[in-house]
Amino acid sequence: MTTLGRILIVEDDPNDVELTLTALADYNLANEVVVTRDGQQALDYLYCRGEFGSRTAGNPAVMLLDLKLPKIGGLEVLQQVKADERLKMIPVVVLTSSSEEKDMMRSYSLGVNAYVVKPVDFHEFVNAVKELGIFWAVINEPPPGSVQK
Amino acid sequence: MVTGLAEGPTHLGVRRSLAYWNPEFQRIHSPILRYGFSVVSVVVALAVAFALQHFQFRDVELPVLTLAIAFATWHAGTGPSVLAVLLSSASFDYFFIEPRYSFEISIRDLPYFSIFVIWAAIVASFSEVRRRIEDNLRQARDHLQVEVEQRRHREDEIRKLNQELGKRAVELEASNKELESFAYSVSHDLRAPLRHMVGYSELLQRQAASLLDEKSQRFIQTILNAAKRMGNLIDDLLAFSRIGRAETNRAKVDLKQLVDEVVAEIGQDTKGRNIAWKIGALPVCYGDRSMLRLVVVNLVSNAVKFTRMREAAEIEIGAVDRGKDEAEMFVKDNGAGFDMQYVDKLFGVFQRLHLPEQFEGTGIGLATVQRIIHRHGGQVRGEAAVDQGATFYFSLPKAQNPERTADAP
Repeated sequence: MTTLGRILIVEDDPNDVELTLTALADYNLANEVVVTRDGQQALDYLYCRGEFGSRTAGNPAVMLLDLKLPKIGGLEVLQQVKADERLKMIPVVVLTSSSEEKDMMRSYSLGVNAYVVKPVDFHEFVNAVKELGIFWAVINEPPPGSVQK
Repeated sequence: MVTGLAEGPTHLGVRRSLAYWNPEFQRIHSPILRYGFSVVSVVVALAVAFALQHFQFRDVELPVLTLAIAFATWHAGTGPSVLAVLLSSASFDYFFIEPRYSFEISIRDLPYFSIFVIWAAIVASFSEVRRRIEDNLRQARDHLQVEVEQRRHREDEIRKLNQELGKRAVELEASNKELESFAYSVSHDLRAPLRHMVGYSELLQRQAASLLDEKSQRFIQTILNAAKRMGNLIDDLLAFSRIGRAETNRAKVDLKQLVDEVVAEIGQDTKGRNIAWKIGALPVCYGDRSMLRLVVVNLVSNAVKFTRMREAAEIEIGAVDRGKDEAEMFVKDNGAGFDMQYVDKLFGVFQRLHLPEQFEGTGIGLATVQRIIHRHGGQVRGEAAVDQGATFYFSLPKAQNPERTADAP
C-alpha cells in the first residue's frame, strides 16, 4: 500500500475546516491531517515551537493554505516558508475564496506549487479537495524529510 | 509716432518696465518744443560757426550746421529736421556763400550749396529711418512683453489646473483602491458563507435523506439552487468589475480566428442540437484579445441559448464595413428575440428580458459586452422582434488605426 503523507491545513473558518475534513474523510485521507487556525499557529507547527514544541520532527507532505488568515496572512506564511531552507521544499497549495488575479500573481511569484479557488458548489469543492489530497498526499513523492504514515 | 508709447501697450506692468529700461528713447513730446529745439540747434550752430570763423578757422560752418540738423532730427523728429535743413540751408547761403548777406548764389557755388543741401537731407532721412526702426522695434518689444505677460498668466493658470488635476488623480486613485478592496472583500468574504450554505445543505441532504419527506427534500434543493445562483451572480459581478479595472493589452486580433475558436468551443456543448452556423469574412481588429474573446463568447452563447426551442437554429456571424477606420460585426440568430421597446434595458447590469424559467442567466453578459466594447472605443446595439430572432452589433477600430482606440472611461 502506498504511504500517506501528512496534510497541514491552515484555515481560520471552522465551517471550511469541517467541510474540508469531511471531503478528505470521504476518501479516507483524513487520518493524518493537522489543522492550524491562523498563520502564527501554522508557522509554530512548521518550526516545532510553542504548542507544537513536542511534536515529532518532519515536514508535512503538503500544506493547504488559505490566504485570508488572522494574525499572519497566508501570503506572508507562504513567503516565510519559501524563504526558509528547511521548509521551502514543502509543496504549498493555496486554497482560497479569492479568484483575484493580484493574489494569484503574488502567490505564484512567491513560489506556490498550486493555486486553487474554492468552488461554491459543494461537489466541486469535495472533488477539488479530494484530488488535492490524493495527488499531494498519495501520488506525489514528497521531498525527503517529510512525515509519512 | 512719438506718443506711440502712451497709446500702444495698455498693461501697467509693461509701461512701468518700459520707463525703467528705456530712458534713452525718451524724446521731446510737445510740437512747439520740438520745432523750438530745431531752431535753437541751428542758431547755436550758427553762433559756433561765427565764433570759429572769428578765430580764423576755415570751412567749419558746414559740419557744424550738419551736426545741428542731426541733433534736431535725433531729438525732435521729422518735421523739425526738415525745418532745420531749410533753416541751415538758408543761413548757410545767407551768411557764408558769396555774395554774403544775400540769398543769391553764384553759378560757381551752386554745386557746393546743392551738395550741402543733399547732405543735410541725407542726414535727416537717415535719422528718420533710424527713428522709424527704433519705433518699430519698441512696438515689437511691447507686443512681446504683453505676450510674455499673458503667457505667464496662462502658465499660472495651467499650473493651477495641473495641481487640481493631480489632486483629482489622487482622489480617483483612492476611490479606485477602495473599490478594489471592496471587490476583494466581496470575493473573499461573501463567497465563504455561500459555500458553507451549499456545503452544509448537501451534507444535510446526504445525512438525512432517508428521514426527510419529499417536500423537505425540495426545500433543501431550493436552498442549494438559490445559493449556487447567488454564487454565480457574485462571480459574474466580480468579473464585470474586473473588466473596468483591468488594463487592456492592445494588439492586432484576427476576429475570424477568434470566432472560429469560440464557435468550436461552444459547439461542443451543443451536441444533439441542429444549429446551422454561418460565419462570414471578419476583419482584423485592434484590441485586447482576451476581452474581445469574452465579447464573442457572450454573444455566441446568447445566440445558442435563445435558439434552444428552434428545431433548426440558425446563427450567423459576419461583418459590415464602416469605412476604413471602423468595422461593425454582428451575431444574428433566429431565436426568441425581444420586444424593441425594452431595447434600452438590454445592456444594463442584471437586466433581463426573459423569465428565469425560460432562459437561465444572470443578466450581466450584455453589460460585460458593452463595457468591453466601450473601453475599445466602439459601440454596441441590438435589433430584434419577439420570436423573430435577434441581431447584436458591435463596432471596433480596424487594425491599421491603432491611434483611434483611446480608452474611453
